[in-house]
Amino acid sequence: MDAVGHSATPLIECREVTKTYRSIWTGRSQAVCALRDVSLEIGAGTIVGLIGPNGAGKTTFLSLIAGLIHPSKGLVRVGGHPARSIEARELLAYVPESPVFLARYSARAVLRYHAALHGLSRREIGDVTERLLKQVKLREYARRRVGGFSQGMRQRLALGVALINRPRLLLLDEPSNGLDPIGVIELRRVLSDLRQAGATVVISSHRLGELEKLTSEYIFLDKGRIVRFGDEAASRQEAFVRVDLLPSGAGINAEQVAPHRLLERSPTRMRIAVTGIEEVPDVVRRLTDAGGRITGVQLESEDVEQAFVRLCQERAS
Amino acid sequence: MKAYEIIMETLLRKTFLRVIHLAWLGTYAALFLIPWPPEVWNWGACVFGWSGCLLPLLLSAGIFGDDIASGRISLLVTKPIRPEYLYACRWLGVSLQGAIHLAIAGGVIFTLHGFTGRGNAEHLALWLLAAWLIFNTWAALSTSLSVVVKREHNGMLLVLGAGMVALGVSLLTGLFPGSYGTKLFTGFVRWACPPVELLVDLAKARRSLWGGLGDVGHSIMLTVFYGVLGMILLSRREYKRTGD
Repeated sequence: MDAVGHSATPLIECREVTKTYRSIWTGRSQAVCALRDVSLEIGAGTIVGLIGPNGAGKTTFLSLIAGLIHPSKGLVRVGGHPARSIEARELLAYVPESPVFLARYSARAVLRYHAALHGLSRREIGDVTERLLKQVKLREYARRRVGGFSQGMRQRLALGVALINRPRLLLLDEPSNGLDPIGVIELRRVLSDLRQAGATVVISSHRLGELEKLTSEYIFLDKGRIVRFGDEAASRQEAFVRVDLLPSGAGINAEQVAPHRLLERSPTRMRIAVTGIEEVPDVVRRLTDAGGRITGVQLESEDVEQAFVRLCQERAS
Repeated sequence: MKAYEIIMETLLRKTFLRVIHLAWLGTYAALFLIPWPPEVWNWGACVFGWSGCLLPLLLSAGIFGDDIASGRISLLVTKPIRPEYLYACRWLGVSLQGAIHLAIAGGVIFTLHGFTGRGNAEHLALWLLAAWLIFNTWAALSTSLSVVVKREHNGMLLVLGAGMVALGVSLLTGLFPGSYGTKLFTGFVRWACPPVELLVDLAKARRSLWGGLGDVGHSIMLTVFYGVLGMILLSRREYKRTGD
């Protein structure tokens, strides 16, 4: 089973989890399998990025952990408890994509309402509400009705709601949607603080550049299956060497650099995949033998976005 | 605080709800100003029908359906709160609204009837009791239906359903008065559906003491039954992303 995190007792445990959506009207004929045989463990004190193409099953995965839906097969545990149990809900907080609140409530009223749902006393509710309004930078909008909030303001409010009970597990589905750059930086700070406090954050985002600033551990989902899991080293296996050349007549083709894989070619630049720095001299020798006049060589490694694109292309082919 | 916030939410969630209360109460008062109703007009029956039967469907319209359709439910059911507790508090919120509304309506009618003498306020207290009992039963049924039906469709469905059932009973008893099917259907309506007929008899003081207590108990049992059904549905239901 794949595992991430540093704790002996996993905070999230999924065993052979499968989720199939069926309509009572169409039955099996149009069933959609959103997750297939997903098994993993995530420990405490880590931030995990959940990435994948549209329809990969990211929201389904988060919904299963949050206890919003039942798995068709397998089991999901949070802190050792079934995902839908009260004990699990006391540990976690969930921020959905595009959060919705009662339009007639003010930001302060929303926080008070959700703090009350956590069973806090009247005094605690007052203290927590003011602290969180300040933390998510909504203090000046405290009395404004949520119906007049922008998407970014609702995201901030949803984050505030999620932080009420200082959760051990925070699930975020596209949390930076609508956030301005300051908001994104603030979000990053909050999540880093949470990790340092020992909490676990699972964040689904299409902003791979932002994810990269937060974490080096990823779950890559595609068509309901885990394709890659674990830390940066495992996800970003591909390094490549960028070679600058003087333009030549016929150019260099893929066979001339084999067994190395040619990723990109233009008259003055080539990118060739390597597994490590020790392969660079061989690449240079092959290019030189093929008639290339090299002006520069640079070893680079994939960022998350490049790894994501490559994995999608590999899956598609 | 948890129960208080959930109960208050049932009133504050829409401006429409407070307007309904004021409109209903204002209408009762306004009816005293017009030459009609005639002397046979029964204020108790009026309150029973409008506030006891129709009002709960309006107050509980979309009470869960709106949250489920909008996706707001995902922020509620991921809290450490039992679905049964959430259901019970929301139903209680509607019930308390009904109790206060009926108390005010009764006071308005009693006072204005005392001044004007218009209409018939016989057995008003019994009518108000019957109205509150039927209010609770309809509220429980509507709240439970709201768990499985989108948006505010629960109220509309129950109004249509009640109309069709009443039409069905009328047709069957008119066309096939003695048939087994008619007896079965009317029996089902009398004992398993909100007990309108039984509570009307109670309000008209046509029942003995034990019969009346039995009607009250039956109404309470049905309310509990509908409520338990709603709690089970809420606890087992899945909440997919918006557009559920």
